[in-house]
Amino acid sequence: MCRAQGEAVAGRRWRLPGTLLLLLAYVGYLLLGSAAFWALEGPASHQSAQQLLQDKWELLGNYTCLKGPALERLIQGIIKAYKSGVTLQGNSTSLGRWNFVGSFFFSVSAITTIGYGNLSPSTMSAQIFCIFFALFGIPLNLILLNRIGQLMLSGVQRCAKRLGEKLHWQEAATILTRTCALVTGLLLFLLLPPFLFSVIEGWTYEEGFYYSFITLSTIGFGDYVIGMNPDLTYPCWYKNLVSVWILFGMAWLALVINLCITLLENSSDLCQCGKKKSKELEQELMDGNKNSSPRPDDVESCSSKDTKPEDSQSEWCAQSLSETM
Amino acid sequence: MSHLVVRGRRINWTLVLVLGYLFYLLLGAMVFQLLEKQAEAQCRDQFQLEKLKFLQNYTCLDKQALEQFVQVILEAWEKGVNPEGNSTNPSNWDFSNSFFFAGTVVTTIGYGNLAPSTVAGQVFCVFYALFGVPLNLAFLNQLGKGLNAHLITLERWVHKPGRARVVQTLALALFLTAGTLLFLVFPPMIFSYVEGWSYGEGFYFTFITLSTIGFGDYVVGTDPNKHYISMYRSLAAIWIVFGLAWLALVFNLGADLMEKFLQLNWHKPGTAEEAITKMEDDPDQPRIHIPS
Repeated sequence: MCRAQGEAVAGRRWRLPGTLLLLLAYVGYLLLGSAAFWALEGPASHQSAQQLLQDKWELLGNYTCLKGPALERLIQGIIKAYKSGVTLQGNSTSLGRWNFVGSFFFSVSAITTIGYGNLSPSTMSAQIFCIFFALFGIPLNLILLNRIGQLMLSGVQRCAKRLGEKLHWQEAATILTRTCALVTGLLLFLLLPPFLFSVIEGWTYEEGFYYSFITLSTIGFGDYVIGMNPDLTYPCWYKNLVSVWILFGMAWLALVINLCITLLENSSDLCQCGKKKSKELEQELMDGNKNSSPRPDDVESCSSKDTKPEDSQSEWCAQSLSETM
Repeated sequence: MSHLVVRGRRINWTLVLVLGYLFYLLLGAMVFQLLEKQAEAQCRDQFQLEKLKFLQNYTCLDKQALEQFVQVILEAWEKGVNPEGNSTNPSNWDFSNSFFFAGTVVTTIGYGNLAPSTVAGQVFCVFYALFGVPLNLAFLNQLGKGLNAHLITLERWVHKPGRARVVQTLALALFLTAGTLLFLVFPPMIFSYVEGWSYGEGFYFTFITLSTIGFGDYVVGTDPNKHYISMYRSLAAIWIVFGLAWLALVFNLGADLMEKFLQLNWHKPGTAEEAITKMEDDPDQPRIHIPS
């Protein structure tokens, strides 16, 4: 018990530089991103603000009976109505957004944590329900995604095995199948759907790709959302197909992102074995050999795995080993 | 043979899971429709009424001009320009706002009250997220490990021999309570004080943010009529990062419990959740050794 606690404490001390490095990288990355967005979007935003102001003044000039405060109040009303999801253009006969299909899409966007926000609950009771709905829905969604990802992985592995048996060269088959799976996933989930969106929604390919990525990564700005243009009529299979695409695409992207994380973490702690074992030994020494029986298997595995340079580490291993003995 | 049986059961469970998921979604859709439809209709009628009233009051304005004006306002709103007030209100894409935006991208909160409108900005955003999201997850992982280390230190204080299970539950309960207070209960008070929301709205914002849903209907520091202290948004960002690590732990715990409850004990090969699960598993290791 003591050893375990000590290990955790020692672990914190040992990992601190790594954490600090990660923190610095994180903050640096954020700063870089904010500078880039600032540079890219600042002028455009400034321009559209100017445009709006000009339009407003033009309107005030053209219709002289209008007064400033009245206009402001109208604007406030428009925005409030827009926020609660009312389609404002045209007349009131248009269907509301909270019909069944819309609510379903909202539920999907809530528990997948995409959260487009083009629709959001406005009444108190709906907000409270939304909290509890998400509280239980998000773990459920995680489990399902986990499951789908597993099925995909096992499918790929089975394919690789079968192919390896046919080719009599397991490694090549594995690499081939994995590349194939990656390319197929890329095509199926990221590169082909934008074509569908550009046909049905009338976006450019680039906009469709942007929408696909923002959706599957669960960022979900809500600046582009499918099936929301009141001027278009959508085929009935469209939204269902997109829902299925979101589910499988998210599982796939989670797999890919996870791969990235494993690569990132693997590169950061290559010599974890050597460090960990020596840490344990050090802790045993600090505990004053109370309950420590030397554990040769640990040291063996340490020295055998730690064949790579890292001289000081193995020295430290050997030293502590002799001291414990 | 046993393998086959296991496989058969697994497929069955997958089916159950999918059905349960679908059922849950349908249930949600029904309730949301029930709760929101009336309010929406009311809001729409009110808006139409307001428009008519406006037209009546200002007779020089015709219907077409008003429709056009509504269109202009909406376009501006969608581009992230706040049409209220005059041009003196600060740009949406100054540095601090860009920083906040970058934060919402990598954490996948994605409020969407700001979103890149130029093609260059959109392309950059995709690649920025592609590398930023894994980085953020790795960072949260590390933070979660730190939180767990604290949990273990806490356990040492409470520990008495022979009552391992009680201590474990107690430590977990304490950890959950402290986290809930610090990340879920207190922040809404601050938000309701600064932003003028009700406590319920503040809590709703807190939850929607920390679960990374991020509808963007409530966002801190966006009211152009308010003066915020300069530290406010930075403090909010720090709260978000720590709160995310904590809530990821809780969700993971929830998923684990749900799996145990459904008796789905399969092994997880590498998926996105496994990385998070790891930080749960680490402290479990020492706990198992407690009796010895």
